[in-house]
Amino acid sequence: MSADALTATGVTAGYGGDPVIRSVTLRAQAGQIVSVVGPNGSGKSTLLKAIAGVLRMSAGKVVVAGRDLTNAAAEVVARSGVGYVPQVDDVFAPLTVRENLEMGGYLVARSAVPDRMEHVIEVFPRLGSMLRRQAGKLSGGERKMLAMGRVLMLAPSVFLLDEPTANLAPAIARTLLEEQVTTLARSDAAVLIVEQRARAVLAVSDYTYVMGGGELRLSGTPAELTESPAFVESFLGGHRDQAIQRSEADDHADTGKA
Amino acid sequence: MSLLLASVGFGLVTSAVLAIAAVGFTLQFAVTDVLNLAFAAVMTAGAFAAYLVNEAGASIWVAIVAAMAAGAVLSAVLNYVVYTPFQRRGAAPITLVIISLGTALIVEFGIAALAGGINVSYLMSQGKTHDLGGLILTTVQLIIIAISLVVMVGVYAMLRYTKLGKAMRATAANRMLARSCGIRAGRVIAITWGLTGALCGLAGTVFAIDVGSFNASSTDIFLILILAAVFLGGPGNAYGAMLGALVIGLGTEVSAAYIDADYKYVVAFVILLAMLAVRPTGLLGAAT
Repeated sequence: MSADALTATGVTAGYGGDPVIRSVTLRAQAGQIVSVVGPNGSGKSTLLKAIAGVLRMSAGKVVVAGRDLTNAAAEVVARSGVGYVPQVDDVFAPLTVRENLEMGGYLVARSAVPDRMEHVIEVFPRLGSMLRRQAGKLSGGERKMLAMGRVLMLAPSVFLLDEPTANLAPAIARTLLEEQVTTLARSDAAVLIVEQRARAVLAVSDYTYVMGGGELRLSGTPAELTESPAFVESFLGGHRDQAIQRSEADDHADTGKA
Repeated sequence: MSLLLASVGFGLVTSAVLAIAAVGFTLQFAVTDVLNLAFAAVMTAGAFAAYLVNEAGASIWVAIVAAMAAGAVLSAVLNYVVYTPFQRRGAAPITLVIISLGTALIVEFGIAALAGGINVSYLMSQGKTHDLGGLILTTVQLIIIAISLVVMVGVYAMLRYTKLGKAMRATAANRMLARSCGIRAGRVIAITWGLTGALCGLAGTVFAIDVGSFNASSTDIFLILILAAVFLGGPGNAYGAMLGALVIGLGTEVSAAYIDADYKYVVAFVILLAMLAVRPTGLLGAAT
């Protein structure tokens, strides 16, 4: 078994007052897609912010590739090979697509930037035709593509993706998860992805953590989870078969809004 | 017709001075999140630094460099001593505005205490007068316009083509995302205070050259024009500030040729209000 690219142990964090997440422990290995699912308000995004250095932890430890990044500043976390795509405000809106990618490669040697950009365009071909466009004027799907391309410029060892399919049309969301997110993992990086679309993300995940009420409730491979009555009961709610059907319907309803 | 052309000439010079100040002000605001009303007081400090160097026998060019250095240092000090500590304590943007107003008074009265209330001027010639198709401008006025053009091109090139300039724009657009890209936002902000402080010192000196003589409170009213130009162009937008400076500079000086010159600052705000009624985000929006 390969060493963990990311280990978060006992992470407790919040925005002042009571912590939003308590004692959350998870790990991800290189080449793995590890998902975190759970209802709204379960603390999934807070967990990612704490790992990314955007939010201060009141307890816990974060280690990336053997380096202790507990409560390190966001720029230090980035410099340690962690690429973070927030759920909102995920691109530099006034900058062009090319400039966004250049900012993603801010830590890359100037001479290596063109090659990195070429690689990003291979992974996200549509970005190649929109390099001069202003990022703030892109569609939701294009914007997410750019946000992921931006972090790919860094060639990070860990990707942190916060609900990348939020507000995307169903087909785009599926493509993004099944093709682009899996491509990121194939670059031998660990991908930690937070999603509300449980069925869709389980389909591409190697391992999944389930959060509820700011705590980890369950974890396992997708196959293990979908066979687990506890998962069905606490996360999908109800009988397994009905719940899965409902989850699928919810996925379609959510994506249909975009 | 000659009156109109003469006022356009004055307007171009005012626009040139205003553009340097407005671009510095708006860049500072965009990157640091501080609407620094002490900007004009720092301009005055720069102008006085230039005066001291000029009085000591140095040329006006050396004096301008001294003013830029003084502006950069004073702005950096204000950032470290005043604004950053308040920002770390979570001071609201409006609180910082009030703090900057207090800082402006402290700087201005400090200069007045040191320099006295007298008007001073640089030891320099205004040069020949040139008739450029009806526009009557002195050599010094042409140089002021040239300096401003060089600064505008330089700022544009820096923001568009340099790593620092792009990092400044990224930090201005989304500070947290910039940090998540590995950009040391704190360092970018510190550099921005220095750079915009240098522009502030330069603006103060060319302003003083343009008006001929100045004292510790000469830039007070100019701050109003700076704000008008910045908000007309779109706060935080350097290119908007350039455009805003041109409109406000020309608008105030041309209006002064036809109505009482005392009302030219009112004209600046009439232009601003009229434009904002049509485009509330300013001529070029809020993004740099």
